[in-house]
Amino acid sequence: MSDRYFISDADLRGLAADLLGAGTEVIAPVATDICQSPSAIAASACSLDHSLVDIDYRALGTADQLDLSRGLPQLSLKGYFLPEHEALCRWKQKGTTTEVIEVPTEFAPRVVLAAKACDAAALEVVDKVMNWDYEDELWNGRRAATTIVNLTCPMIDDSCFCTAVGAAPDDVKGADGLLTPVAGGYVYEPATDKGRALAEANKARFSGDVEADTLGREADDERAAARERVAANLEIDAASVRDWIDTHFEDPLLSQLAIRCNGCGACTSVCPTCHCFDIVDEQEGVGRGTRRRCWDTCQAPTFTLHASGHNPRDDQHVRYRQRINHKFAIYPLKFGEVLCTGCGRCTRVCHAGQDLVEILEAIDIAARRPGDDADPAADEPAEAAS
Amino acid sequence: MTEPIYTGVDDLRRIARELLEAGDVRVIIGWEHARRGARPVFVSDPAETDKLIFDTRCVHNLVTYLNPRRDAVAEFGKIGLVVKGCDVKAVAGLLREAQLTRDDVVLIGVRCGGVLEENELPAALALTPENVAPRCYGCDNREPTLTDHLVGEPQPEPPRPVMTIDERVAVLDGQPLEERWAFWTDQFSKCVRCYACRQVCPLCICERCIVEKTQPQWIESSSHPRGNFSWNITRAVHLAGRCVDCGECERFCPVGIPLSLLNRKLQHIVRDRYEYTVSDDPENAAPIGDYRLDDQQEFIK
Amino acid sequence: MNIYQPLLTTVTEVVDETADTRTLRLEFQDEAVREEFAFKAGQFGEYSVFGAGESTFCIASSPTREGYIECSFKAIGKVTTELREVNVGDTVGFRGPYGNWFPVDDWKGKDVVFVAGGIGLAPVRCVIWNVLDRRDEFGDVTIVYGARSVDDLVYKRELEEWGSRADVKMVTTVDPGGDTPDWTGEVGYVTPVVEKTAPKADNAVAVVCGPPIVVKLTLPVLEKLGFSDDAVFTTLENRMKCGLGKCGRCNIGPVYVCKDGPVFTAAQMKALPAEF
Repeated sequence: MSDRYFISDADLRGLAADLLGAGTEVIAPVATDICQSPSAIAASACSLDHSLVDIDYRALGTADQLDLSRGLPQLSLKGYFLPEHEALCRWKQKGTTTEVIEVPTEFAPRVVLAAKACDAAALEVVDKVMNWDYEDELWNGRRAATTIVNLTCPMIDDSCFCTAVGAAPDDVKGADGLLTPVAGGYVYEPATDKGRALAEANKARFSGDVEADTLGREADDERAAARERVAANLEIDAASVRDWIDTHFEDPLLSQLAIRCNGCGACTSVCPTCHCFDIVDEQEGVGRGTRRRCWDTCQAPTFTLHASGHNPRDDQHVRYRQRINHKFAIYPLKFGEVLCTGCGRCTRVCHAGQDLVEILEAIDIAARRPGDDADPAADEPAEAAS
Repeated sequence: MTEPIYTGVDDLRRIARELLEAGDVRVIIGWEHARRGARPVFVSDPAETDKLIFDTRCVHNLVTYLNPRRDAVAEFGKIGLVVKGCDVKAVAGLLREAQLTRDDVVLIGVRCGGVLEENELPAALALTPENVAPRCYGCDNREPTLTDHLVGEPQPEPPRPVMTIDERVAVLDGQPLEERWAFWTDQFSKCVRCYACRQVCPLCICERCIVEKTQPQWIESSSHPRGNFSWNITRAVHLAGRCVDCGECERFCPVGIPLSLLNRKLQHIVRDRYEYTVSDDPENAAPIGDYRLDDQQEFIK
Repeated sequence: MNIYQPLLTTVTEVVDETADTRTLRLEFQDEAVREEFAFKAGQFGEYSVFGAGESTFCIASSPTREGYIECSFKAIGKVTTELREVNVGDTVGFRGPYGNWFPVDDWKGKDVVFVAGGIGLAPVRCVIWNVLDRRDEFGDVTIVYGARSVDDLVYKRELEEWGSRADVKMVTTVDPGGDTPDWTGEVGYVTPVVEKTAPKADNAVAVVCGPPIVVKLTLPVLEKLGFSDDAVFTTLENRMKCGLGKCGRCNIGPVYVCKDGPVFTAAQMKALPAEF
């Protein structure tokens, strides 16, 4: 393999340090030992072994904050491209005249190190809607300015199911390169020009010596093992799931599967692909203010509430169905991609026990069941529709 | 260390089955063991009552499903609800605020000696200072009241957690104002405004939450410090003297804001100013809905 | 300038249609925009009052009337309440035109039937003028318009104008009890009045807009009169924010109302989940 590099543990940190030194923002998983932080007061384990951590993608202050040993960050990378809130424009008013001030749509270059494959892939999935006829310059500007380097996922738990929705723990979809852990460091495989440029610009940190039968094989084995670990969690036929949901809007299964849901919307906040937003005006002093977009959630009744008081989705199981429908039927039918990368955050964050692995399994089983439908084509393998 | 089987489970299943078979209730809301641990379950078929469990993982306050906003739940018909002693305080809260009629629900109480902080475990664990939910400390409801049926044997006191909520509040109170401000600024900065805290709260019963009101817009919906402070403090204050300390808000918070500290602090204030502690007595009106001539009011300026 | 940034317009005319419905005429402040701006009948926009936010309505003026746009709205929500406070000379933000349109060009040579209830005349008015300004290209034009009461009729001057034209069959109705002693129009709900008017369905299209109940009840009547579901058009108004197919709010089943609509045929509408 010509396009593979080796980078040692020390050099990876060195790379982060070099980038920071050159003034480039570096975003990477950072662990906050909550026993060390002010929230020590909150941590039940704070007098214990100091092992309880929050892990999050953060802009590194120093290279040694980079933490590659942990699982999935609490929030996905989404917020770095579609911030929780961001200005769309600002205004100033005097008398009857109004001046609208543009916000910049070009951003300083930055690098994400050790992104999870599910989080990077989500960006490419959401690219579709963000460029559907109208180009979202704010999203695109941040995408263009960012080089994303994935790390073959080291921590896979029982909520992960990326392989069931067409992604993989060693995917480079949405990313510019991939790091895979091997003895003493990582094998780096660039996937795009941006990914190659990163290695080119920081030559001293990379070595081109990746023997296909030693380090190369080790990386390949690691990648294959990661894929197998996830695949054991869930296997579905995404195309038949899509077609079943599309044709079974009123099926009681969908409301049964939603019954525990409290409509808290935490799943949509932590989801790397949920991108729905609200637009609000905020007055900031007399005669000036900011129009912002903020994350919003289809799980809130207000999402669809008309000014007249009419609400087309006025109950929680209907809103839950919308989320499933949008992710696994509507988006695939419109944009050819499942609006889910199997990160499992929604399942982990749901303390009421709404479990997407179980829900997809149930829909998959329903989709494979010989049809009691009038439509005989429902039993056919679903590739016809793809 | 696994927890010994809870002795009341057979009775719980039997009572649930009898209630469903007799048509006294249409659904039993309790806990089940699922792929990722204990979770709420809705049982409407008497044959499925064996799904019901009770053990130290049953942390959820199921009273949140009685909330009058839950149309899909109401559609089942009359509900039989499995409750721990602490959960009964939330039922009392709904009764006190006329959100529920006692006859609308059959309560099956489980005697409880405390629950774990974490419910997503393959099996129940015996409680230790390290794993017990801190809110269980000093529990005064191991024997649920207001119930129609009561199962299980009397339970021992839960262990004292490594650090109690009161102790944590005391640590915060002991800090200078600037550091407390920094602490809450840091915590609220994490808020993504998903309103999970509100949705899961059994006492957040407003038809339209103040944060959804736009004329005027009291609380900005952006998750900047201004918006986040307004929301989190308003939520807490609306629950002062009403919060039953079930901890669901904190448990569901996807970014780990320690809301129980805020809730507890307000409980202390309400206790000190109004000699009021929320209880399982539906007649015991909370200060927020009970004006008295001798109420302290010097803070109204 | 990103896609969410509004253009600025100046209010040049304010007309109170009813006690609670107002029409604003807006002219683009930028001269180039004023000259180049074009839209098609049925498209909508996001109108904003800075500080209150944006609200979605159709463009109520006709694409054939260049140099300005008009919108009609009821003061119900936060933005519309603020929008009601603006005066001639004030600035209003506008983004658009968005969405699809009524395929007016495909209707050449056909009869056109308009059915509207209440403020539902706003999106229809745009098509009516579009058709009337090119009157020769179409067959018979029938307009059935109803409101709760005489006071609730919008665009009163235009109702008179259309009513006085020989090349338009204009039927105006008010709900029972909504009439005044000097009322000369029909008394009755829109749907039965449509049935009574009985426009012929042969080589005709129908446009139906109004409160959901009016649309719901009128569709079967048109079907009975012989209109096929492909020849009946309506506009859906789901809650929207971006208007650009991004924010996800107006998504029902397979469609984003803002991009795939707001104009749908009755056939398309019947295929959607009932989430509007």
